[in-house]
Amino acid sequence: MLNLGSFHSDIVIVVGLIFGILTIATILFATLKKLNPEKDYSELIQRTKSWWVMATVFIAATLLNNTISYVGIAFLSFLAFRELYSILNFRNEDRRAIFWALCAIPVQFYLAYIGWYGAFIIFIPIVMFLLLPMRMLVVGNMSGFIKSTATLQWSLMLTVYSLSHMAYLLSLPEVDGVVVDGRALLLFVVFLTEINDVLQFTWGKLFGKHKVVPKISPNKTWEGLIGGILCTIIFGYFLRFLTPLSPVEVVLVSLIIALAGFVGDIVMSAIKRDIGIKDTGSTIPGHGGVLDRIDSLSYTAPVFFHLIFYILY
Amino acid sequence: MKKAWLIFLYSFCVYYFLKIIVGIKFRRAHFLKNTKQFIIVANHNSHLDTMALLAAMPSRLLVNVKPVAAMDHFGKTRLSSWFSRTCINAVLIKRHRDKVNPSLDPINVMLNYLDKGFSLILFPEGSRGIPEIAQPFKAGIAFVLRQRPHIPFLPAYMSGLGKAMPKGDNLIVPYGGRLVFGQLQTITSMSVDDILNQISAQLSVLKKPHKN
Repeated sequence: MLNLGSFHSDIVIVVGLIFGILTIATILFATLKKLNPEKDYSELIQRTKSWWVMATVFIAATLLNNTISYVGIAFLSFLAFRELYSILNFRNEDRRAIFWALCAIPVQFYLAYIGWYGAFIIFIPIVMFLLLPMRMLVVGNMSGFIKSTATLQWSLMLTVYSLSHMAYLLSLPEVDGVVVDGRALLLFVVFLTEINDVLQFTWGKLFGKHKVVPKISPNKTWEGLIGGILCTIIFGYFLRFLTPLSPVEVVLVSLIIALAGFVGDIVMSAIKRDIGIKDTGSTIPGHGGVLDRIDSLSYTAPVFFHLIFYILY
Repeated sequence: MKKAWLIFLYSFCVYYFLKIIVGIKFRRAHFLKNTKQFIIVANHNSHLDTMALLAAMPSRLLVNVKPVAAMDHFGKTRLSSWFSRTCINAVLIKRHRDKVNPSLDPINVMLNYLDKGFSLILFPEGSRGIPEIAQPFKAGIAFVLRQRPHIPFLPAYMSGLGKAMPKGDNLIVPYGGRLVFGQLQTITSMSVDDILNQISAQLSVLKKPHKN
């Protein structure tokens, strides 16, 4: 149930900030549409609408109840994983191994829930890494075996393992008798990652000229990247009250989040380039599939988690 | 009673199971609400095909929509036959014409149900085959449509379901797929070949990927 007593005022500030930004964006695009009716703003408006839904769902799932947060992130991983293996052309023989990989999702999130760090950190990279090829061997068809095992393990790492670090933030133990507010950390990394995406996109649209990776993603420009990183650092600096980090640490962490988010984004673009599709799906109007939205998070979540873990413990 | 049971089963359980767990994208076919009678013609790769088509029916119509299934498979034992009738609401037919007993002839059985006012779901490929590969159509659908030319048919195309639950494997593994409906239409010719060509042309149009 909603536990208002545990709502820190700093979390309320960030929630206000998120909805404030969304309100401004909504009004801005509506005004632009009125002023230049001949220009097409439908994608931006659609995207903003979807942001409203995503932000509300995320805030509801993370802030209302701790247990729901684990289930919610697990479900998000499931959607992302399913979307990824569905576009990767697995063989029919791989179905059992995929089923085993799916069964790893509840286990991984249960390990995060009970806070068993040792098991959590090795379960997918070691246990599933050893089990999945074994399950594929039983099927007996070895043509395509290497590709299938490698792709399946990588998909599981990119979606389930990465995102499960978001859940483990909620299970971090106290340091020197001080409780670490996992929800604030989760809010910090998700907000910074998504605002970094938006800022890099906006800077690129406004001032973008020099392409970073023209072959993979023609929309990524140095102007967008640098402008986005700088703004993300500023956001991170002012939101440092969500974290137990010092100002210098928070600037460094924000910089690394911004870079990791950029890399995650182009990794997903590269996957789409490779199989020749534009969007990974049509689940989120204006954005594409679930994967198109969590691409940066799959890089920032583990990176942020381990930075925090290294600095605090 | 049967109506409530089918609505609970398909419009609720199967509908959310397919959408949330299996990951099949489809919309409920609300445009059928005002159509009295129709024959759904779909490609066939999986047992999930029938599930998805029934889940996509407007719940009010559900009890009137009968999937046509092969008697040798779905009526093999008394249990499977009971299951097919109560849980799938199926019409069981023989795979081949029966000149000796006209009442058991598959075409007559289907016409009989149409005359009682039921709508049918037909898979003209006959069996599920290999996922994503179309097999030649059996002619039965054309005979039925030719006898009742005023009843419109509705082409439906599904992809990915054969990967979620292929022939010969009863484990359902979630796999992103889709179900799309074409336009309700009546046959434009009385020739069996023309009718089959009309249907397969409609299904190939739906097969092309498009943005929702």
